[in-house]
Amino acid sequence: MSNLIKTIDTTDCLEGIESVCDIEGGRISGEIFYDQKIYEQELEKVFARCWLFVGHESQIKKTGDYITTTMGEDEVIVIRQKSGGVKVLLNACPHRGNKVCFSESGSTRGFICNYHGWSFNVEGNLIGQHESGIYEDSNFDKSKWGLKEVAKVDSYKGLIFATFDPDSPTLEEYLGPMTWYLDSLFDNQEGGTEFVGGCIRSTYECNWKIAAENFVGDILHAGWTHDSAARAMLGGSVAKVSDFDESYSVNWNGHGYEFALDTVGNVAVLGDSQLNKYLHTIKPSVAERLGEFRSNMIGSVSSCTIFPNFSFLAGQNTVRIWQPRGPNKIELFTWVVVNKSAPQDIKDRWRKGAMMTFSPTGVFEMDDGENWEYCTKTAKGKVTAKQDLFIGLGMDTYLEDTDLPANVYKGQLNEANSRAFYQRWQDLLQAKSWAEVPNRNKGKAEVEK
Amino acid sequence: MEKVYLCKATDLEANQVKKIENNTFGDIAVYNLGGQFYATADLCTHATASLAEGDIEDDMIVCPVHWGMFHIPSGEAQGFPCETDLQTYPVEVVGDEVFAVIEVDENIIAKA
Repeated sequence: MSNLIKTIDTTDCLEGIESVCDIEGGRISGEIFYDQKIYEQELEKVFARCWLFVGHESQIKKTGDYITTTMGEDEVIVIRQKSGGVKVLLNACPHRGNKVCFSESGSTRGFICNYHGWSFNVEGNLIGQHESGIYEDSNFDKSKWGLKEVAKVDSYKGLIFATFDPDSPTLEEYLGPMTWYLDSLFDNQEGGTEFVGGCIRSTYECNWKIAAENFVGDILHAGWTHDSAARAMLGGSVAKVSDFDESYSVNWNGHGYEFALDTVGNVAVLGDSQLNKYLHTIKPSVAERLGEFRSNMIGSVSSCTIFPNFSFLAGQNTVRIWQPRGPNKIELFTWVVVNKSAPQDIKDRWRKGAMMTFSPTGVFEMDDGENWEYCTKTAKGKVTAKQDLFIGLGMDTYLEDTDLPANVYKGQLNEANSRAFYQRWQDLLQAKSWAEVPNRNKGKAEVEK
Repeated sequence: MEKVYLCKATDLEANQVKKIENNTFGDIAVYNLGGQFYATADLCTHATASLAEGDIEDDMIVCPVHWGMFHIPSGEAQGFPCETDLQTYPVEVVGDEVFAVIEVDENIIAKA
């Protein structure tokens, strides 16, 4: 008997989604940040369907090591198996639905529900209950009532993803050639990466898309929004992005990475010269491993979102999920990622640097929070919500003639990735199944392994 | 009094536990605690669970289902939800063979 979650029957698509999201016209509507009906559709057609980031391999090393997180608003337990694999289980007892695990992380023999003493092992199998005799008298079949498992779990270079949808593409297909770019942070040294310290959690009163879209392709805000923070950390303003000779926005399936090739523009804002030095030290070996081009990305001015809500900044090394908590609230989970092979002192410096800049009290994070909350809250006004919002920068910047993988656009001061993000969002909301989701990619799908 | 053969001493490594099926007295759990052998009933006194599937922590056996604990040498229940002590049996090691010595008691047979 399989404990896999039954496929969710998708409800009909909302009508009028094209009117709130006109990608070719370069406009969206504020309504998408505040509307409850749209949000309900997102939980079902985006979060219950896409591959979602659930944790890093380094967080669960031994059998029984687990972390708890959410996939959309569904609470899950990510747990290392005896076999070495990972299971993702619903954090809800199949008797009355009570939550079975209340801690963020740990190592355990299993989970016992507080309500009636149903006990589950690390595989999620139900192994007993308080007053077990009465279940035996009722011919109760334990094998049918384990913790439910998500449809699929897979990982890429230490990053564990899961999906509730058995019909989803494979993780490899889902990420596509974005993996070529992901490697610049997650596989630039032998041994790969690990998370250091715990999970930093905070809440914002903003819509999840505002945050995800900021990381998918909005470096434009940095020079203005973060000017004072940059002056505090660097003693000067952030790099003037329009001065870079070469920069790109690349996207695929709604994922996006915008980057310059300046090696240390991002890491510099942590204000710790030892970290710049570390990146310069490893750069030749990165070039050997990944080529010259990607060795220039390791700490460059950049940001990335893997659709829908997993984002990171190479250089600051902050990795995050924007967890949806209603149309106008998110819970932000962040971690600090480092190369496993880096010296301990460098790992510590990264943890401190990320806390100074991109934690709830970090100087950069606070700048963003205020903006994102008001981008959301203004849409509470019924008239304001109908206002067109401009998203049309860089309409004619697609690069036909490039060897780079994915859909490639010239320049990182560009709203191409943001448009691709909202296009994917719209496509998913308008599709009843994965088969109906159009393929909008036009760039190179293959990457050199 | 009856001597029930459990296992070969060399078949049970230190700090391991093994379940020996027994239809007359109920299944028996045999333990090797650092070379010293012990035997108890295998069925948890709280709910249906084979203690031999649990973990040994020092001289305690942790029930695999609700993680209650029993002191292996004395059978004393030591942690919620286990409140009723566990039946223990004296052990005799003859050469390489481990036996439980069971007092033939109507109550024990009925419980099995």
